[in-house]
Amino acid sequence: MAQMIVNGIMLGMSYALIALGLTLIFGIMNIVNFAHGQMYMLGSFIVYYFYGIYHWNFFFALFMCIVVLALIGVIFERFFFRRIIKLSTRAESSMLLAIGTALLLENVALLSFGEKNRGVPPIDNRIYAILNIHIPGNRLVVFTVSIVLIAALLLFIRYTKYGLAMRALAQDKEVTYLMGVNINRISMMGFAMGASLAGVAGGLLALIFPIFFGSGANVSIKSFIMIMIGGAGVVPGAIIGGFILGMLESIGYGLIPGSVTYLIIIFAVILVLIIRPLGIMGKPGY
Amino acid sequence: MLAIGVIGLLYLVIYPILFRQQNYLLNIVITSSILSVISLGVWLVFVIGRINIGQAAFVLLGAYVTAILTIRLNLSFWLCLPISGLVAGLIGFLIGIPILRLKGVYFDMLTLCLTEAAMLVMLNLGGLTQGARGIMNIPLPGALKMGTLIVIPAFRPGDYLSFYYLSAVILILTLMALWRLNNSRVGWNLRTLRQSDTLAPSCGIDIVRYRLIAYTICCFLGGIGGSLFVVYVQSIFPTSFKVIDSIYYMLYCFLGGLNYILGPILGAFLLTFTFEGLRVIQKYQEGIYACLMIIFMLWLPNGLLSLRFRRGAHKKGSDGTRSGTILDRIRQFVKQQTR
Amino acid sequence: MKVLEVQGLTKNFGGLVAVNNLDFQVGECEILSLIGPNGAGKSTVFNLITAYLKPTKGSIRFRDGEITRLKTHQIARLGVVRTFQETNVYREMTALQNVVVAHHLCCKVGDWGHFLNTWKARQDNRKIHEGSLKLMEYFGLLECKDEITSNLPHGQLRALEIAVALAAEPKLLLLDEPFTGMNPEETDRLVGMVRGIRDRGITIVLVEHDMRAVMTISDRIVVISFGKKIAEGKPEQIQRDNTVIEAYLGKTDEGEGS
Repeated sequence: MAQMIVNGIMLGMSYALIALGLTLIFGIMNIVNFAHGQMYMLGSFIVYYFYGIYHWNFFFALFMCIVVLALIGVIFERFFFRRIIKLSTRAESSMLLAIGTALLLENVALLSFGEKNRGVPPIDNRIYAILNIHIPGNRLVVFTVSIVLIAALLLFIRYTKYGLAMRALAQDKEVTYLMGVNINRISMMGFAMGASLAGVAGGLLALIFPIFFGSGANVSIKSFIMIMIGGAGVVPGAIIGGFILGMLESIGYGLIPGSVTYLIIIFAVILVLIIRPLGIMGKPGY
Repeated sequence: MLAIGVIGLLYLVIYPILFRQQNYLLNIVITSSILSVISLGVWLVFVIGRINIGQAAFVLLGAYVTAILTIRLNLSFWLCLPISGLVAGLIGFLIGIPILRLKGVYFDMLTLCLTEAAMLVMLNLGGLTQGARGIMNIPLPGALKMGTLIVIPAFRPGDYLSFYYLSAVILILTLMALWRLNNSRVGWNLRTLRQSDTLAPSCGIDIVRYRLIAYTICCFLGGIGGSLFVVYVQSIFPTSFKVIDSIYYMLYCFLGGLNYILGPILGAFLLTFTFEGLRVIQKYQEGIYACLMIIFMLWLPNGLLSLRFRRGAHKKGSDGTRSGTILDRIRQFVKQQTR
Repeated sequence: MKVLEVQGLTKNFGGLVAVNNLDFQVGECEILSLIGPNGAGKSTVFNLITAYLKPTKGSIRFRDGEITRLKTHQIARLGVVRTFQETNVYREMTALQNVVVAHHLCCKVGDWGHFLNTWKARQDNRKIHEGSLKLMEYFGLLECKDEITSNLPHGQLRALEIAVALAAEPKLLLLDEPFTGMNPEETDRLVGMVRGIRDRGITIVLVEHDMRAVMTISDRIVVISFGKKIAEGKPEQIQRDNTVIEAYLGKTDEGEGS
């Protein structure tokens, strides 16, 4: 049981990374990034090629994840989302656009990488044991890097000028504009950061989970669940959501065989939303 | 009016007679018709201003209900069809009560999860649904008898024409009913939910009730569509209707235009024809769907029919100026800049 | 019988007390104005009465019936209708359609009747259509009846909102800052219309900042500051009340000549 909890905590941290990316984009631009899972998937493929095939340094591969996905994020925001927000009379259009981008990325991945499942060599072969709990070195690396990245993100949002601008934009677009903030640039930044968070999470979890083109859809659904539990658009909500999902998954798969786990998780989400319609930490206004 | 007559003639008489031997071509229209019924349900939820990405769950549900009733209880298809719809509608009603209260995004994301949940349920109800093995060899519809009078003869294997007319009739009935609903006061009340759900209750409109009406009808239509599909394809698996299908139903509505009741039908037919026609490049099918979605959203976000009808178009005010306090004017300006 | 009775009404938002133990009553066919400096909680009172917000404490009675726990549409059905501070109309419908839709409570036929388009339903719709045209005529909106509301100028929108509220056949009408953004001419015309509404037997409560309009039209005034009632009485009394002057203008400094 303790093993499951520890696993849950470690997994939860990485999941929190994914949720943070999604919540960042949602908070700033009020768009649900349907392509979030696919961005994760691209990140895992980047690590597969740079680290697994070309044998570069793993952390450098992670850095490439950030760069490439940030670039994709910038392109999406600048050419797709900025235009749709201006053009459309209905709010649903940006959602359909987001879905379109998700399908696009998935299809490009399928055509480029094929259907095969891939894997990468572990970065650390040892298994640490503390008090009867076994922690593979791999997972420890993933856990540590996740925590570092989350901390870096939180510091960025809290203390930098741009972080402040993002928080302001999330709270009130019009007032932020009146304050002289270039909302186009901040939106672009926010989207790029959200995308790279998904990408780097994909790169990290490539050490643990199989890599294939269809992994995006599942990750998208998981990230939605995290946001729904924790609350959309708020940073602590994403972290809590990530945590809870990590724990539920770990304990669920440990105790209950088969696929019933996710069924229970989905019902748990409905329950949470009945009690707190905006998620645990969600703030009204979204 | 003339247009309706022509299309009706084409749909019910000319096409089927012309192609009655060409099963492939009949199949495309059958599939399109059933997809249209399902998408009309999704359209109705768009009318109240919500996005339903979970319709595939109810299609799956309807399909399984029909499959199980037909095989286990030997129930006639003609009973299973409405029962599937009613079961789907009932479950939709029960789920709708807690989830329709949720704000926009949460509702959307949750409906997405419903599709996954439905698949998991069907996967794990082994005794009833045979889990991953699915249910196969579902019998074709038998004869519909009233006493000793045969109203509809039993379907014969390989007879696509019967399915053609079955799906066509169901589509036409659905369209008529929904058209009537949309034009009635109920339809107007539904529209108020999207345009101002703060003003509506003040006019005495019970927004909870009307949301439920729209959602329940949507799920009912999903169930009907599932029932039709399962008896056409004669097999069902937990993965028969997935998240991507929910997305496709939405896409058909968008393509045709969310403001028009014919939108989803146009979208379903157009896209189904296009992709069957382009079977050669099926490898790129999803990719092309994706590019279509993106291009469409960027250049024609209000759907194809908006080209023809220009409904909801925004014209400049007759005198071009707007009075109001200075604060109002500043607000309008800022709103435009930050759109 | 008092048309509206508010007792001990309190609303807390976390630490902020927006409405503090408010008591007031409104008599039959009276025009009562709620005034007070910005942020005093006046619109919140409307939100509480019409169940857009739930009160933390207190009770609201309409014609001797407790309405505190009811939902907005139920309260509307009983006869309490409000307008909104921000312009709130159905944006993709024409002005006439707005008014017709708002007649929902006048329908004798239920949803099934309308769906099946029974003879009674058609009768209903005809009656409502005529009633809507008459209502719009009263507000001078006939020329723009087929115009989409998003194209209408501000003044006509405000009039339309009141027409929409009247379509629900209220016995008590709550008007939230109806005179905002109007020039003196429009204000005078609206004052006339509001009086006309009262003469039809409808009780009116106003929230308003435009003092000229308030003093002209009100039978009684209740002054609210920081969520509490600080004065109540006829317009002449309120104009001379020191607490009210203080609330709006602040205390005079002792040091300077008073």
